[in-house]
Amino acid sequence: MAETKVKSHNDDKPKPRVRPIVRLGIFLVSHSFLVSVVCCTSGVLALFLLPVLAKNTYISENALMPGSASPMLSNQHVLDGNRLVKDLTNSNLKSSETGIGSHKIIAQYMLDLGAEVSFHKFHPQMNQFHPLHFFSSPDSGKIQENYSCSSYGINTVGIIRAPRGDGKEAIVLVTPYNALKSGFGEALSLGIAYSVFSLLTQVTWLAKDIIWLVADSQFGEYAAVAAWLREYQTPKFSSSSTLNAEMCPDINNLFEIKVHSVAGSKFSNSFRRAGTMAAALVLKVRDQSEQFEDTISIYAEASNGQMPNLDLINVVNYLAVHRQGLRVNVEKLRSLLNSSWLKSLGEFFESLAKVAKRLNPKCKFGIPATEYVEGTATLASSLYYQALGVPTGPHGAFRDYQVDAITLEISPKFSLDKVWRNDILLRGGRLIEGVIRSVNNLLEKFHQSFFLYLLTSPSKFVSVGVYMIAFALLIAPLPMVAASLYVDANSSSNCSKGDSSTPPAITDADEHGITIRSWRWLNSAKLVFIVHLWGAIVSLLPYFICQIPDCSPTTSFVIWVLLSILSLLILNTVLASPLACVKASQVKEWALVKSVTISSVFIGLGLMSVINFATAEFGALLLVPMCLLAQPLKLDVRAGTLRSFCRIICNLVLGHIAFPPAAFFLLKGMLDGFGSANVGDFWMWVESLWAWNSATYLFIGMVQLPCWVLCVSILFHSC
Amino acid sequence: METFYNSKPVLHLLLLPCLLLYSSIAFNSSSVEAAMHTNNWAVLVCTSRFWFNYRHMANTLSLYRTVKRLGIPDERIILMLADDMACNTRNKYPAQVFNNENHRLNLYGDNVEVDYRGYEVTVENFLRVLTGRHETAVPRSKRLLSDEGSHILLYMTGHGGDEFLKFQDSEELQSHDLADAVKQMKEKHRFKELLIMVDTCQAATLFNQLQSPGVLAIGSSMKGENSYSHHLDSDVGVSVVDRFTYYTLAFFERLNIYDNASLSSLFSSYNPSWLMSTAYYRKDLYQRRLEEVPVTTFFGSVMETIHTDAAYKALSRRNSGRFEAQTSLDQSVHHSERRTPIKVNDRDETHNINPEGNKQVLQGEGGATKCPWSTFCNKFQKAENVDSLVNYGLVAMIPFLVISTWLVR
Repeated sequence: MAETKVKSHNDDKPKPRVRPIVRLGIFLVSHSFLVSVVCCTSGVLALFLLPVLAKNTYISENALMPGSASPMLSNQHVLDGNRLVKDLTNSNLKSSETGIGSHKIIAQYMLDLGAEVSFHKFHPQMNQFHPLHFFSSPDSGKIQENYSCSSYGINTVGIIRAPRGDGKEAIVLVTPYNALKSGFGEALSLGIAYSVFSLLTQVTWLAKDIIWLVADSQFGEYAAVAAWLREYQTPKFSSSSTLNAEMCPDINNLFEIKVHSVAGSKFSNSFRRAGTMAAALVLKVRDQSEQFEDTISIYAEASNGQMPNLDLINVVNYLAVHRQGLRVNVEKLRSLLNSSWLKSLGEFFESLAKVAKRLNPKCKFGIPATEYVEGTATLASSLYYQALGVPTGPHGAFRDYQVDAITLEISPKFSLDKVWRNDILLRGGRLIEGVIRSVNNLLEKFHQSFFLYLLTSPSKFVSVGVYMIAFALLIAPLPMVAASLYVDANSSSNCSKGDSSTPPAITDADEHGITIRSWRWLNSAKLVFIVHLWGAIVSLLPYFICQIPDCSPTTSFVIWVLLSILSLLILNTVLASPLACVKASQVKEWALVKSVTISSVFIGLGLMSVINFATAEFGALLLVPMCLLAQPLKLDVRAGTLRSFCRIICNLVLGHIAFPPAAFFLLKGMLDGFGSANVGDFWMWVESLWAWNSATYLFIGMVQLPCWVLCVSILFHSC
Repeated sequence: METFYNSKPVLHLLLLPCLLLYSSIAFNSSSVEAAMHTNNWAVLVCTSRFWFNYRHMANTLSLYRTVKRLGIPDERIILMLADDMACNTRNKYPAQVFNNENHRLNLYGDNVEVDYRGYEVTVENFLRVLTGRHETAVPRSKRLLSDEGSHILLYMTGHGGDEFLKFQDSEELQSHDLADAVKQMKEKHRFKELLIMVDTCQAATLFNQLQSPGVLAIGSSMKGENSYSHHLDSDVGVSVVDRFTYYTLAFFERLNIYDNASLSSLFSSYNPSWLMSTAYYRKDLYQRRLEEVPVTTFFGSVMETIHTDAAYKALSRRNSGRFEAQTSLDQSVHHSERRTPIKVNDRDETHNINPEGNKQVLQGEGGATKCPWSTFCNKFQKAENVDSLVNYGLVAMIPFLVISTWLVR
């Protein structure tokens, strides 16, 4: 609008030809309101269209050939597995308090098969906040001296060498097992793994070594796997760990018995390795289940929303469904399944697809409403877990070393029947065998299929090329609105002066004024920079707070909030003192602040979308409307129209929702009910985020919080 | 005929200039058909690596076994295998390759001679083999030492597309390259007849650029079609043979070295519904009628032998007109019912190929020769052997010599 004014003003002069792209840009900027409304609506709509646009998965890598070989796992192997399950449950009944007995049993079974066996002793690492460890590869870990002998875990590792292989690659099979209080499910998962393992010692077709890791899950499944991986990938060249082991009589006892009982040289005290890992499977069996059929759940999300290659999921899904007749499940948000508005949306899309089909019979668009609801629930959970940036199982540890891994959780339909147990051992074992044989065929790492995708069902996915459109539409208005605000703020003062003075006579003083005015945005930029600096300080504060001993989550949280406010005040007084005088002199200061804020949010969201798409998507859904709508409340109150009233309401609501703790409590309340909400929960959640090196934490601290503060400051701007 | 002149340049010096003139005319007008079928060669190429391409190696080895069974010796087979499936660690049966899930026949037995293996199988090496441009260090066993009378079978299998065949997952052989190589072979008199058989997707497109006469080409699929594997061996875990090759082998399994099944019967044996693609053959460059050409022309090594008096007579080939042509198979006498079609074939071959003597007379009688010198030539060519020719030449020189010395004096 201002642009057109300027144009009409210069009409008498012969204009230089403007290039079409520039003209298009000017057009979009001048109609930024309309553009932003259209873009944001279509961005949200595109997000809801994603389940409809999902494609069927397909096995992209030719070499995999899943299911082309008939399974070789026979009843004999199942009987072997059953024997192990029985021995383990019996030893549990005898209940040795350290659980060493069951370790010995497992190692003995492995040795009898002719595998290389070793124990890996580890101390669980405390979750600590390392401000500089985001995005860095995990290190070998500090060796702490004062661990007691009781707080260690023992992983049992068995390795089969491929008889004719080159020993450069390996496939890992992980079964978490808690020797102290193991359920029947864990024993059963060991039985399945053992039956596969016993088969693999006999076959001639292995090209990769097989590692079977029985992870001691008494300190959590993830910790055990992560500790073993750390040892595997980043060896420590010090003797302290072995010294430590020798101090503990229990472990010595364990080693001695092993060495005595086995005459062969297959058992070793040192850490054993095979080649680089091609893939890893974590196998679990759920204890109780109320499923009507045998189901297998796939968990794939690793830290920071990283996913394993889609081919791995495809192989498991294909073999489970088409070979073993298991139902495959991926995580869903259950609360969405029964929501009526989603159902009606699905029905709307379905009827739309029918109309489209009538117009063009070739059009293959649209899915049934029930499928849409399920797809949306799966997609939402896929987005949620990716956004959280916390791995959904022990497979996350592998992803840190760029190894493709998934967790398979088998939920059998009913329990404890002997025939049923053999059946689940046979089918589970054949599934694992098939996956291993398929991965064994692989020539290189998984690289052919997608790494960036969202699942809408086990056999449907949305690839990065599709879901990025929704995100791009959502953030597209930001630079336009920023430009339009900047132009507006500059030209309005320009015009007021230009109208008063005669056009041809532009004095030197005027020119000087224009250059000063065109650099005015630096003041706003300074403000935005200060707030972002504050955001960085706030995200570093927990590092110091957690040094305070004996602090409950609630007090920590309160300390954090107080320190944050204090630091903001200090920063404001020290650095932003000139702001006051600027504010007084400039009329449209808030517009410039908003423009710079929007630019910084745009940069922040763009960067985040590269690191973790899901976080950026959720962030954009909150931040984009808030940034675009922010306007001083005073102005709206003064205007007093219906439109401004609506805007006040929206601003107030968004101002509350977009505050990170508020958003957290709202989400938690929606999922778990508001009764259990506690102030300390947020602190605990944040603690878990930084423990997993989640980039979501950085996003909240350095993009969302500053943006919220800036928007609130715009809302309460005095003009 | 021109070989006669070419091989004996000394003769030209001794003969009259008019004879020189005639010989040049004859050389230009004659075609290669005059060359006799001397030997059979086979170049068998598997172009793809990796375990999941097991079937391509099995294809090639099956064909290797077939042509060997039908009489082409190992020394005349250039076998190129891009990967070693037999010793692949994923192979459930180490050092064995099967082309059928019944595992009755191990293709990788004791007697397989692979000439180019693994990363040696490249487009460059393939073209070098065809054109014969090798480095000096390359042993004779790795060369295609064919001559102008050779029948060559070129079999290729792998992954292909529109006018290309993929080698080793990294390079391509284009139809232009193939046509160029064949043309060079023709120019260098490296073959008499060439059968190119290709089992790959869109195989027909690979023949688009061929121009050289004497080339017969057959491919497993037309443009836009895929060539599919025949069946999966669920024990080994891979597909073990392609459909086109499978049905080719099925055709040859019924044959032995004495059979006279014609090429057209082979080509008509491909059923598109079995292949799931349309076998395509290009015969416009090939002069003989396919019904009259036995498959053993390419897939075996059946040819006529020439009986000579002395084992080491220097110029025996030229004298073949004096001796009756026989098939190499002594036993064929006992199989009279099989013998007859061979005889038909023999006559055909004689008509086309027999280099001199009777055949030349026949042509003369046909009145085809317009050259005034032809009668002289015919007379001249009736000379029994080279010695007498030389003698006549020398005798003819004597008068000139006498006259010239007399004139000088």
